Amino acid sequence: MKLSPIRLGLGGRFTLLLALIGMLASGLTGYYAFSTSRSLLVTAAEQRLLTATHVLVRQLVVTLEGVVRDVRLLAGHPLAAEALAAAVAEERGRAEAGVDALFAGMLATRPEYFQIRLISAADHGQERVRIDREGDGMVRVAGDERQEKGHYPYVYETLRQPAGRIYISPPAINHEEGAHAGLGKPTMQVAVPIRDGNRVLGLVVISVDMNRIFQQLSAELPDKIAFMLTNRHGDFLVHPDPAKTFAFDRGQRVQVQSEFPATVDLLSGAAGDLVTVTDMPGPERAVAAFVKYHFGAEYDHRSFILGLSQPLADVLADSDTVGTATARIVVAFSLVSILLAILLARAVIRPLNQMLRSVERFSSGKARTPLPVQRHDEIGVLARSVDSLQKQIDGQMAVLQEKQRELDHLASHDSLTGLPNRRLFLDRLAQALARSRRTGEPLALLFIDLDHFKEINDRLGHGAGDVVLRAVAERLVAEVREIDTVARLGGDEFIILLDATEDRAVITKIATAVLAVLADPVALAGESVAIGGSIGISCYPHDGANATEIIAAADKAMYRAKHEGRNSFRFASGEA
Amino acid sequence: MTCVRRCSFLLLLCCLAGLLPGPVAQAAEPGVLRVLAWPGYADPDVVRGFEQRHKVRVEVTLIDSDAALWQRMSASGGKDFDVFAVNTAELQRYIDGALAQPVDPAAIPNISRQLPRFRQVEAIPGLVRGGQVYGVPYTYAEMGLIYDRSQFVLPPDSIQALWDPGLRGRVLAYNGGVHNFSLAMLSLGSEQPFRIGAEQWRSTVERLIELRRNVLGFYAQPEDSVDLFRRHRVALMLANYGTQQLRLLRAAGADVGYVIPREGALAWLDCWVVASGARDRQLVEAWLNYMLEPEVSGLLVSRQSLGSTIAESAENRPQDHLRWLEAVEDVGRRERLWVRVISGDRLARVLAP
Repeated sequence: MKLSPIRLGLGGRFTLLLALIGMLASGLTGYYAFSTSRSLLVTAAEQRLLTATHVLVRQLVVTLEGVVRDVRLLAGHPLAAEALAAAVAEERGRAEAGVDALFAGMLATRPEYFQIRLISAADHGQERVRIDREGDGMVRVAGDERQEKGHYPYVYETLRQPAGRIYISPPAINHEEGAHAGLGKPTMQVAVPIRDGNRVLGLVVISVDMNRIFQQLSAELPDKIAFMLTNRHGDFLVHPDPAKTFAFDRGQRVQVQSEFPATVDLLSGAAGDLVTVTDMPGPERAVAAFVKYHFGAEYDHRSFILGLSQPLADVLADSDTVGTATARIVVAFSLVSILLAILLARAVIRPLNQMLRSVERFSSGKARTPLPVQRHDEIGVLARSVDSLQKQIDGQMAVLQEKQRELDHLASHDSLTGLPNRRLFLDRLAQALARSRRTGEPLALLFIDLDHFKEINDRLGHGAGDVVLRAVAERLVAEVREIDTVARLGGDEFIILLDATEDRAVITKIATAVLAVLADPVALAGESVAIGGSIGISCYPHDGANATEIIAAADKAMYRAKHEGRNSFRFASGEA
Repeated sequence: MTCVRRCSFLLLLCCLAGLLPGPVAQAAEPGVLRVLAWPGYADPDVVRGFEQRHKVRVEVTLIDSDAALWQRMSASGGKDFDVFAVNTAELQRYIDGALAQPVDPAAIPNISRQLPRFRQVEAIPGLVRGGQVYGVPYTYAEMGLIYDRSQFVLPPDSIQALWDPGLRGRVLAYNGGVHNFSLAMLSLGSEQPFRIGAEQWRSTVERLIELRRNVLGFYAQPEDSVDLFRRHRVALMLANYGTQQLRLLRAAGADVGYVIPREGALAWLDCWVVASGARDRQLVEAWLNYMLEPEVSGLLVSRQSLGSTIAESAENRPQDHLRWLEAVEDVGRRERLWVRVISGDRLARVLAP
């Protein structure tokens, strides 16, 4: 199959190219769809987290505003100022009892408060009324157990606040001995001074249970979302890993900027927000949103950063579904494109192959196979062109072959008599000699020369000579066997090759018959002309070893016949 | 050409090394000095200078806390390092644990460059035991007083100023129980601030309560102290972090002075100590000597704001009395009582069992 590599080559390449284009197109589309869906998911997660963070900040601010309202309410109560200002012990005791009841009522309804205190500006910040939470109940701290707190920031800072300003402490672990439920817990103090005109009498301070606030804030968050809160320096106050919270209290720094480097600008700048995707590799990678909040001028200048983060893997979990679906579609489309490529290649390649086969067979001279001439496309046009080309070539070939045949005949036959000429005769003689050498069968040559032909020619013209020659040729052909060859060597010389003839009697009989037909007069222009001939006979292998020798022998014998009386025959050997 | 020459020289060296008997060839290995130190004590340029001078390699390991230092040294019984830096109070447990070995001052010529107070090793508590010197003083920091120049006509010269009722609410102290008890002892005129006798607890606590009532507040971090000092116009501050706070305050624009009170200032003193597992004694002594070169010790002052033992710093005078920290009689009790003091309890409750 010489055809197959070409067919497979072109068709295969065409199929491969089409299939590749199809697969590439579907693959790229799938990939971009997938990556776009991922970035969309990340963007959506960022926005979701940012919105949730803003909501949480709002909630935290609302909670703190609630505390501020409470502390203002308590500090604004006349009994508080009265308890601090009273000079008479009895009066003071009554006022303190009233404040005490006030505080107890507040503490009972606000589970997120650790303690509420009334602290005097005098006596080194002596606690005057103090109610602590302890377990499920409350403890009224009295007498000697009440401490001097003047050296704590929530006292000295609050007492120095301008009128109407609230003090909010940075959240810290409470190490104050005897703080009951609040001891060792993250606490934030919210305090407001109590004034009598220009004189600062003392303050009311509420200690807030930060863990409870944080839990309330993060209670509704899904499991996968991590809630973080930092102070203004970036130290974690809330973190999924409890070991990272309030690390500054243990002499360490665990800060948000080392975990989320993008927050550095947020920490140093004004209030704002940001979303970030950490570049840590592996499952640690997370999408995070941070909001920095700055308390208004009404309060002390405190700010915090609240953040939510979600593992990137979790955010992209949905994209895995999309990815699987996309991969399936890509595979399906690739298969379809391979199938289409095969079909398309076949549709184009099959008529081409059909033509190719036809041309191949045509050029090797075999029977033609049909061409796709009925098609209406370019291939049809091509097929029709090939078809007409083939037909044209067929016609021209037929003419050419006819001419060739004629030329061949002309080259080997005498144009006048139609007898084989010298060339053809020598050819046949060579063949007969070769056969004879092989088979051992002898052969004989009869060399004939017409008598008085020159006179006829001279007397009656060449036309008459030609008639004579034609007549002689016809008679000679009629006299011999089919296997024998009669040829005209030229002029009035003829030669007969008798194949497989040895018997002299037979040869003699033929020679005699030839002489008889030659003797028969020929009718020429109303006159009967008598001709005759002399015959020289040679036999192979007797009279020569090759063609030249036996022809020469026959020729010689013919001349002898001519000289010895004409109209007779002589054998080249034997009788002499 | 030089390369070829160097290569052939190296080849020759290798051949020679092969010819040398075993023990000499091994002597090349201790050409490494293993140093365990605090940040800033052996900066890369300092180390490079030593390496070039002595044709050795120095491996520096840094630690940033007493606990980390102890953990490193005790993990291998002192075999992992040749020399380390530790303060005189901490040094005691290293001597007890046989992790340190005595030094021979005669082998360290640069000791003669040191200020007299560091040469008189007998006067430095904890440095000498059984007649043998266990460390070479290297750097120190003292807890002096920082004062606002605009609020003092004359600089305060005594720690009694911290208790001065005239400065009430304008004094800052440090929130640290152990040091504060020593401080209270000094203010009571004690010469043994690290040893509180059974009958001295009451007066010391009283003194601390008085301090509590006189201060604005107690700070923990240097940055906090600077913030409070400036916002509340503080007049006097006990500088637990010494000149570091002074530098921060001056950088923040405060017009402040620094004094060592006449009672003396508590101070820590870090010494270079030879580890018990030191391999090349001579190399270690060369290191100790190198550390006392003026250009090496000078970097402590210029880069770290720490004190150098070979030159008096700008803030210190030769007559200043530095009280090198010593192990105290009962860390736990001091801390326990301090929590009560700072929580605002009165004397009876602080001293309650």
